[in-house]
Order: sequence, then C-alpha cells, then structure tokens
Amino acid sequence: MTQHWPQGELDPVRRLRVLASTVRGVAMAETVVPADVEQAWAVASELERVLPRMIRDFRSVRVVDVGGDQLWLQARGRLGQRALFAVTLRPGWCWMQSRFWVGGIAASAETGGTRIAFAGGLRVGGRLSQLFDSTAQRLARQALGRLADEVQAQRGPQSD
Amino acid sequence: MTDEELVSLTRAAQRGDTRAMDALLDRLAPYVGRLCGPIALQNASDAAQEALIAVFRDLRNLREPDALLGWVRVIAVREAIRVARRSRARAADELPEVPAVGDPMLTVDVRDVLERLSPQHRAVLVLRDLEGLDERTISGLLNVELGTVKSRLHRARASFRKAWQR
Repeated sequence: MTQHWPQGELDPVRRLRVLASTVRGVAMAETVVPADVEQAWAVASELERVLPRMIRDFRSVRVVDVGGDQLWLQARGRLGQRALFAVTLRPGWCWMQSRFWVGGIAASAETGGTRIAFAGGLRVGGRLSQLFDSTAQRLARQALGRLADEVQAQRGPQSD
Repeated sequence: MTDEELVSLTRAAQRGDTRAMDALLDRLAPYVGRLCGPIALQNASDAAQEALIAVFRDLRNLREPDALLGWVRVIAVREAIRVARRSRARAADELPEVPAVGDPMLTVDVRDVLERLSPQHRAVLVLRDLEGLDERTISGLLNVELGTVKSRLHRARASFRKAWQR
C-alpha cells in the first residue's frame, strides 16, 4: 500500500532555503525569470563566466579540477587575492565552499518560468556573522539581479 | 551511504562543514519527503523544507550521531502535522471499522483517502505502516496514550477499507 503514498519533494530552491536558513552569515534572494529551467540553468551553471558577473569582487574564476559532480574552482579577487572553492554542481543545484566564503545557486521550474535563487555569505561564526547580515542580504539581491539579467540576455527577445 | 559514512557526515555537519550538510541532504531529503508526504499531502514539500530547517538548526545538539535518523523522524512527523494543521487540512474523526494493511486493492486513490483523515491519524499510519514502528513506540514519539494510537490506527485503516468497498 505504502508505495502509492504521496511524497514531499525538496526541489533545488527549497534545498537552498534549508541551507541558507541554517548556515550562519548566509543571506538568500530569489526571483522568477520567464525562461524554462534548462535555459536558466545553462546560464547559471557556466560558473567561469557567470560568477565574475554576479559577484563583483571576483575578477576571474577558473575550474581547476573536475570529478563527477564535484569541482574545484580558483577565484581571483580584484586585489589579487585567491580562493579555492570546493563545489557540488548538478542540474539546478550548485553549492560552493571556500575557507572564508560559502554560497550556492539553485533553479526550479515554476508556473510561468523558473525560480532562481542565490545564497552567499562569509564563513564567520557567532555574533560576528550578525554584523554582516545586512551586507550579505544586499549582495545576495544584487548577485541574483545580475544572474536574472544574464538569463534574460541569453534567452533574447525572440523567445517570448 | 553506509551507517559509518552517515555518522561521519553528521559529525562534520555539526562542526559547520556546509559541504557535509549538503551531502547529508542527499540522504535526508528523500527520507523526510517520504514521511511528510502522507501527513502533509499537498503541503508535503513545505513540510519537508520546514522539517529539514529544524533538523539543521538543532543538529549541533544531537549528542549521538548514530541516532540521527530516529531523531529526524520525530522532527519530520512533528513538522508535517504542524504544517498540515496550519493549512486546515480536513479532519475526519468519525470513521467506521475493520483494519487492512497490505490489501491488494490499490485502484483506490490513496491521496483521496488520506485527505479524509486528520494529520494526527495520518501520522500514526505513517509511523506504523511506513516506518514499521510498534504502537507503544508510536505512543512515545507522538506523546499520546497507547489507546489513542490504537484507535487512530483503527480509524485510519477503516477509512481505506471503506474506500475499497465502494
């Protein structure tokens, strides 16, 4: 009997909400773009191209190793600083962690388009994380807005 | 994922390793979704999300990582009942008799039958028939009398029997 019972699904955006709600210092923003989920994810998952556009502190991002859905990314900052990110990348899902920064991107199909979400923040513990809350929230909204613009630009006006 | 790997991931997640949390979600999300589905029905995805937020918020306080799945089960059922109640899912308190587990008459719309039960009745059914727990254990998990568990189980199964006999 139980094989016919309904199940709850944790789609990628819900999954990102779980991590963003429970990892200290991480803020999340989400929006709906008028593109199907494959189109949106094709843009969002091109990390070397899209991350420097979303996060202005990144001058460049380069994939340095790949093993299945696990990647290693080398990010270089505007001031020349470097960070190595361990990344999990799957359809609709990206989660990244470096020594000092953590974040992710998610996309889930929704009526009328695709819900895309971005979460990010500094890996700082305790009360220190509260100092960065408003900044993290602002940066998350900005990064997501740039991602939405990228999806729109790639999709082009003829797709309507 | 082996039990040892699960314990190792849990310990890493408790230390704040977010990649371990992400990997733990691979294991926990289907389990929590399976528990929340029959209880929260159309709100099952909301319930699964809320349950997993509660799990990770409190993960540091879990003293025995070996007990992770049992601990998660309690939280998932609690959150599913809460979400289902909040959404004012219809309750059916008066149902006729005769239990039947594993009955082959599967043409009935299971969701339709579950919708006629209250979230508390559905929780008992999930813990007994999906998780295979005995009635005394369910009584402890839900913090209700053993007699209440028995009567809820009886009524829940009776509702399936009634639907199959139509």
